[in-house]
Amino acid sequence: MKKIFLNLALFLFIGIYSSGQKEKITVPLRFDHYYTYDQVVEALKALHDAYPKLTKLDLVGKSEENREIWALTINNPETGDALSKPGVYVDGNIHGNEIQAGEVGLYFANEMLTKYGENKKITKLVDKNAYYLIPVVNVDGRYHFFADANTPSTNRGLRRPKDDDRDGLFDEDFPDDLDGDGSICQMRKRDSLGSYKTDPADPRLMVRVKPGEKGEWTILGSEGIDNDGDGRINEDSEGYVDPNRNWGFNWAPDYVQRGAGDYPFSGVGLNAIKNYIMARPNIIMVFAFHNNGGMYLRGPSTKSQGEFQQGDIRVFDYLGKNAEKIVPGYRYLISWKDLYSTYGDFGDFMDNIVGAYTFVGELFQTSSETYKKKDEKGEEESMFGESNDRTRERLKFNDNLAMGELYKDWKPYKHPVYGDIEIGGWIKFSSRLPHPFMLQDLVHRNAAAVIFAAGQTPDVKLSVIKKEEIGKNLYKVQVRLYNDKAMPSITYHCVKSKVYPMDLLKVSGNNIEVISGGKIINKYTDQVSYKPKKPEIQFCQVPGFGYVDYQFLVSGKGEMKISFESRKAGKITGSVKL
Amino acid sequence: MTFKFQKFYRLLLFSGVMWIVLPFFLSAQSVSLKYDKYLNPKDLNTAIAGLNKKFSKKSRLINLAKTPGNNELKLLEIGQETGSTKKTIPAVLVVANMEGTVPVSSMGALYLADMLLNSDEMTDSLTWYVLVCGNPDALDHYFMKAYPVDPRNAKPHNDDMDELTDEDGYNDLDKNGIITQMRVKDPEGKWIPLEKDPRMMRKADPSKGETGIYKLYQEGLDDDGDGKYNEDGKGGVNVGINFPHLFKPFTATGGLWPGCTEESFNLMKFVYEHPEIAMTFAYGSTNFCMVPPKGGRKAGVDLNRIKIPKRMAPMFNADPDKTYTMKEVMELAKAVVPPGMEVTESMIASFLGLGAVVNPLSDDLKFYKELAGEYKDYLKEKGMTEERLEPAKAKDGSFELWSYYHLGIPTFTMDFWTLPKVKEKKEKGSGITTDKLEKMTSEEFVALGEEKITAFLKESGAPAQFKAENVVKMVEDGKMTLKQMAGMLKNKPKPKDSKEGDPETKALLAFSDSHLDGKGFVNWTPYKHPDLGEVEIGGAVPYTDNTPPEGMIDSLLNVQVPWVFEIAKKLPRLKILKTKTISKGGGVYELNVWIENTSYLPFPTAMGKRNKRPAPAILVLEGDNLNVLSGKKRTPVSDLGGLQTKKLTWLVMAGKKSQLSINFNAPNAWGDQKQIKIGGEK
Repeated sequence: MKKIFLNLALFLFIGIYSSGQKEKITVPLRFDHYYTYDQVVEALKALHDAYPKLTKLDLVGKSEENREIWALTINNPETGDALSKPGVYVDGNIHGNEIQAGEVGLYFANEMLTKYGENKKITKLVDKNAYYLIPVVNVDGRYHFFADANTPSTNRGLRRPKDDDRDGLFDEDFPDDLDGDGSICQMRKRDSLGSYKTDPADPRLMVRVKPGEKGEWTILGSEGIDNDGDGRINEDSEGYVDPNRNWGFNWAPDYVQRGAGDYPFSGVGLNAIKNYIMARPNIIMVFAFHNNGGMYLRGPSTKSQGEFQQGDIRVFDYLGKNAEKIVPGYRYLISWKDLYSTYGDFGDFMDNIVGAYTFVGELFQTSSETYKKKDEKGEEESMFGESNDRTRERLKFNDNLAMGELYKDWKPYKHPVYGDIEIGGWIKFSSRLPHPFMLQDLVHRNAAAVIFAAGQTPDVKLSVIKKEEIGKNLYKVQVRLYNDKAMPSITYHCVKSKVYPMDLLKVSGNNIEVISGGKIINKYTDQVSYKPKKPEIQFCQVPGFGYVDYQFLVSGKGEMKISFESRKAGKITGSVKL
Repeated sequence: MTFKFQKFYRLLLFSGVMWIVLPFFLSAQSVSLKYDKYLNPKDLNTAIAGLNKKFSKKSRLINLAKTPGNNELKLLEIGQETGSTKKTIPAVLVVANMEGTVPVSSMGALYLADMLLNSDEMTDSLTWYVLVCGNPDALDHYFMKAYPVDPRNAKPHNDDMDELTDEDGYNDLDKNGIITQMRVKDPEGKWIPLEKDPRMMRKADPSKGETGIYKLYQEGLDDDGDGKYNEDGKGGVNVGINFPHLFKPFTATGGLWPGCTEESFNLMKFVYEHPEIAMTFAYGSTNFCMVPPKGGRKAGVDLNRIKIPKRMAPMFNADPDKTYTMKEVMELAKAVVPPGMEVTESMIASFLGLGAVVNPLSDDLKFYKELAGEYKDYLKEKGMTEERLEPAKAKDGSFELWSYYHLGIPTFTMDFWTLPKVKEKKEKGSGITTDKLEKMTSEEFVALGEEKITAFLKESGAPAQFKAENVVKMVEDGKMTLKQMAGMLKNKPKPKDSKEGDPETKALLAFSDSHLDGKGFVNWTPYKHPDLGEVEIGGAVPYTDNTPPEGMIDSLLNVQVPWVFEIAKKLPRLKILKTKTISKGGGVYELNVWIENTSYLPFPTAMGKRNKRPAPAILVLEGDNLNVLSGKKRTPVSDLGGLQTKKLTWLVMAGKKSQLSINFNAPNAWGDQKQIKIGGEK
C-alpha cells in the first residue's frame, strides 16, 4: 500500500517529465515529455501500426529482469530487402539513466516515417537504406529510472547483482528516498567542524572553507540509510555491470575496466542485441546515444589499439565535422584521446567486428541552459563535476526557466544515523537531461545528424566504360564502380584485418570465357594488376567519393553479365553485349 | 566432510605422507571402464552417461552446450552436494581437450570421473565438475579417416576470405588414410633432406653455401582453383584459444571475440555461476604441474610506477613527468572528485587505461615451482622417469591463462604424454641443466671449473661474450646470482644445429621406429599431382607426437591422474583456530578471533588479490543483543596465505552470557563456525 502511495506521489511530481498520459499513444509521437519504458514499447508499436508496410517490429530478447527489448526496422520492401541495402543502426539509453537518448531513436523513427512521401529527401533516404532502431537498450535501467527514486546518475548499469562492498551480500544497500519525493537528493548536516560553509552568493549552495575558516556544513552524500547495518550508507546499490563495457572487442576484466562484467556478453539483454546485430551484417553506420557532454565520439577507445586506418578516418572526419555544424556546441572527438580509455565498449565492437562507422552521441550540454560555455574563470565543464560558478548559473535556469522544479530546497529531516540533517539539491531529472521544453530541439538536431550520415552510406553504380575488340572474338572490357558517397563499400579496417571477405565483382556469360582480369592501376598507361587465378571473380573495395576500374580480357560472343556484390552496399548488376 | 575423515585428513596432511598413501588407495579401486582405446565424443558421452546412471546418488549430468557440429558438451557433477544449488563445500573444475586435438586428455578426464565415483575419499568434502571434452567437434577429427590435427570446431568460416566458405579442405591423394605432406622440387624451394636421416627435412642455409631443393605443402588439391592447397577446410573456431585473457581477434582460428562460440561462452557462464569453484585443472597439451606458467611478456603495468598522461595530468593536479604509485594516484583523484564519490583502483585503472596483468605474479610462481618439484618426486616414486619432450606453452586466449588471470584461483594443467627425448651422446656434455643451476650454491658452481662451465654455456645458448671466466667472476663478486643466470638462460632459445634436424621430428622418428614399427612416419613416395606434377608424399603421421599408443593409456593415467588429488588437498581451507574475549567492563568486550588457512595454497592467489577474485570469505558475527562497537558484523577476509594465521579484533557490547555465533563463510574454502558464550569467560 505504501508503495502504491509512493508511486502515485511520484507520478504527480514527474508530471512535466513523463506525460503520465493514460490515453493511447498516437503517431506522430510527441516530444514535449519523456516516455517511460512501457510507453516506449507502446510508441514503437504505434509506429509499426501506423506504417505496417515500411516497418517491422522485432522482439530482440529479454533483459535481466525479463523486460522485452524491441527493435524497429524501417525499410521499404518495394526497393528491396533490408539486408540488400546499407544498414543504419541507431540505439540509445544503454545507460539506464540516460533517457533522452531513447527519445532520439523514437524521434528519428517518427521523422523518417511521418515524412515519408511528403519530403523528398526523407523519402529518398528511406528508400535507400535499411534502418534498425533500438531506442532503449537498457530497458531495466530506464524502467527503474522512472519508477524509483534516483539521482541523475543512478540506474546506469545492468541489473546484474554485484557485491560492491564485498560483504557477501548483493545489492543490499541502495540509496533511499527518505523524504518520499521521488528523487535521491543530497544530505547535509550543520557542523561547525565541517569543511563547507554557505555560499554567500546563493544560500542553497555550499563552498569549501578556506584554511583556518570556520565551517558550517558537512556534506553526507546521497540520501540514504545504512540498510545493511555495516556502518556505510548506499555502498552496494544495483550492479555494477556497465552495459557499455561488456562487449566482445578488446574486453578486459573488472580490475582493468570497472563495470566490465564477468565475461563478454554476460549481460543477457546485450547478448540478445549482439545476436540481433550479427544477423544484420549490412550495418555500416551506427549511432549510439548517451546523455552528457555534447560530443560525437569515435573510436578507438584505447590507445593501445592504434589509430584507425587512414581511409576510415577520412570518413569519420567528414561525418563528424558535418555533425558538429548540425548540433551547435557539439565537438567531434576521439574516445581514448579526448575523453578516457574504455575497454569492451559498444562502439569498438561495431567498428571492429561488424565493420561499421560508429559515433557515440553524448547529448546534453549544460551550457545549452545558459548559453555559457565557460564559467567566470574560463573553465569548461569538467569530468569531475562542475565549479560553483556553473552551479549558480544552473540554479538561475532552475529558478527562471524550470520554475524551481529541478532543485529541492534544503529541508530538515531526522536521520536514524546522522540525527538532524537537511535534504535537498538537484532532482533526478536535472543536470543531465534537457528540460522537456528543450527536448524537441535536441532530438531533432541529433536525428538530423543521423540523417546526414545516412545520406553518406555507400551508393555504388556500375558502368562499362570501355569495350574494345582487340583480336578475333577477343574483347577488352573495362568496368567502373563509382560511389559518390562518403562511406566505402567495405571499411578499410575490414579489408586490412580480414574481418569478412571483400566485395565481389563477377563477370560471366554462356558463351564467353574470361581470359584475364584485374584492377586497373593506371587507366592512361593501361597498367592492370591481373589476378593470377579465377579472373572472373575480383575482390574489391569501392572507396568513398571515388571509383575503381577493372579490366577483363574476354573471348567469345554474346552477353557478358557483370555483378557487384557487397555485404554493406548491396548487389548491382549490369551487362554488355560482345 | 565427516568428522572422522577430517581428523584422518589432517593427520595425513601434517604427517606429510598423504601424497604417498592416497594414490595407492584410489588406484586400488576397481574401475568399471576400460582404458585401452581412445573414445570419440559420442562414446565419451555414453561412458559418462553410464557412470552417471550407475552412481546417480552422487552424480549429475549437466548439458553445457551444443556445438556447431551437433555434439553435446556434457559436464559431470560429482560429490555429496550434487544437485544442490547452494554449495557449502568447494569444487574443482576439471576440463579436458579444449583444443580437441589431444585424445588422451579426454581419456584422463573420464578416468578421473571413474575414480571419483568409485571412491568416496575425494568426494566427501569436494564437489567435482568434469568436462571430458571441451571441443568435441575437433576431437571428431581424430576418428575421421584422412584428417590432420585440426583444432577447429564445425562453425563455418571463410579462411581464405574468398567467395566460398570451407571449400578447400584436405585430400588423401595416396589413399593411405593419412594426411601428410607433399614435397616438390622447385627452384624457389627452401628445403633439403637432412643428411643424417633423409626422411627429415631441414631449411637450407644460404650463408653456408646451401641451396634449397623442395617446396613443402600439406597433402591436398587446389579444390577451388585459386592456386592454394587446403587453405579453407571445414571450420571454425579453436575453442581452446577462445577465452578472454590475451585474446587476439582476427586470427585464423581464434574466433572473432572471446566466447564467440557456444562451447567457450557456456563454460565461462558456468564457472561464474559456480563461485564454489576453488581450482581448475585442464587436461590438454600444457603442464603447469611440471612447468609453471611462463612469464617474460612485455608491457603489463607496474602499479608502483604509473605515469599520468599530459592531457589528464591537470585533472589530477599531477605532474606528467613523474611516476606515481596506485595509492598516490588514488589520493590525487580523491582530492578532485565531488564529495561522496568513491575512488577505486579499478576506476583509476580504467580511466588511465593501465591494461591487464600479463605475467604470472612472483608469489604465485613460488607455489607453482614448489609443487612442480613435488610432482617430479612423485613421478620418480612411481617409476615414471623417462625424459620426454617439454609440454607445450599455454597459448594466448587459452582456458588455462583465462583461469589463472581472470578467476584468481589456482590453475593447473597436465599433458600426460609427449614423445620420449632422444638420448644424446653425452661425450662433451656438461651434465648441468638450468634447473640444477638454480639449486647450486655459488661455491659449487665455481668448483665445476671453466671447461664444464664453458660446455654448459654453449649448450644453453648463452651469448658468445658470456665467457666462463667472466661468468665465474660475476658469480664470485655477487654481481649475478645463479637464479638470475638460470632465469636468463631459460628464456634463451636453445642453439640448434641445423644438421641435427629439429628435435621434435627426431624424437618422432625415433619413437616411430622403436615403438610403432615405423608407422608414425610415411616414407616419401612419388605421386603425380594434377597441378604440381611429380611430387613425393610423406611425413609424420598426425597425432604421433601427442597421442600415446592405446596400450599405454591406462598406465599413463593410472600414475598421473591422481596427482590432481594431491593438489586438491592443498586447496586453501579456512578455519577458526581459537577465540578469546576480554571483558572491558560495562558489558563491553574485546573479541579476538584467530582465523587460519590450514592448507598450503594461499587464499586467494596473488593474481586473485590483484583482480579481487574470487569472492572473499565473510566472517559473520551473530548474537542476541549484539552491538558491534568497532569492526563490522560482516568482515570480508580477502587474503589469507597458505598455512597463515590472522587475528581479527572487535569491540562488542553484549548482555552477560549471551550466545555469539561466529560464521566463517567461504564456500570456496570450506569455512568454519563456532559458538561462544560471551561474558561468561574471563
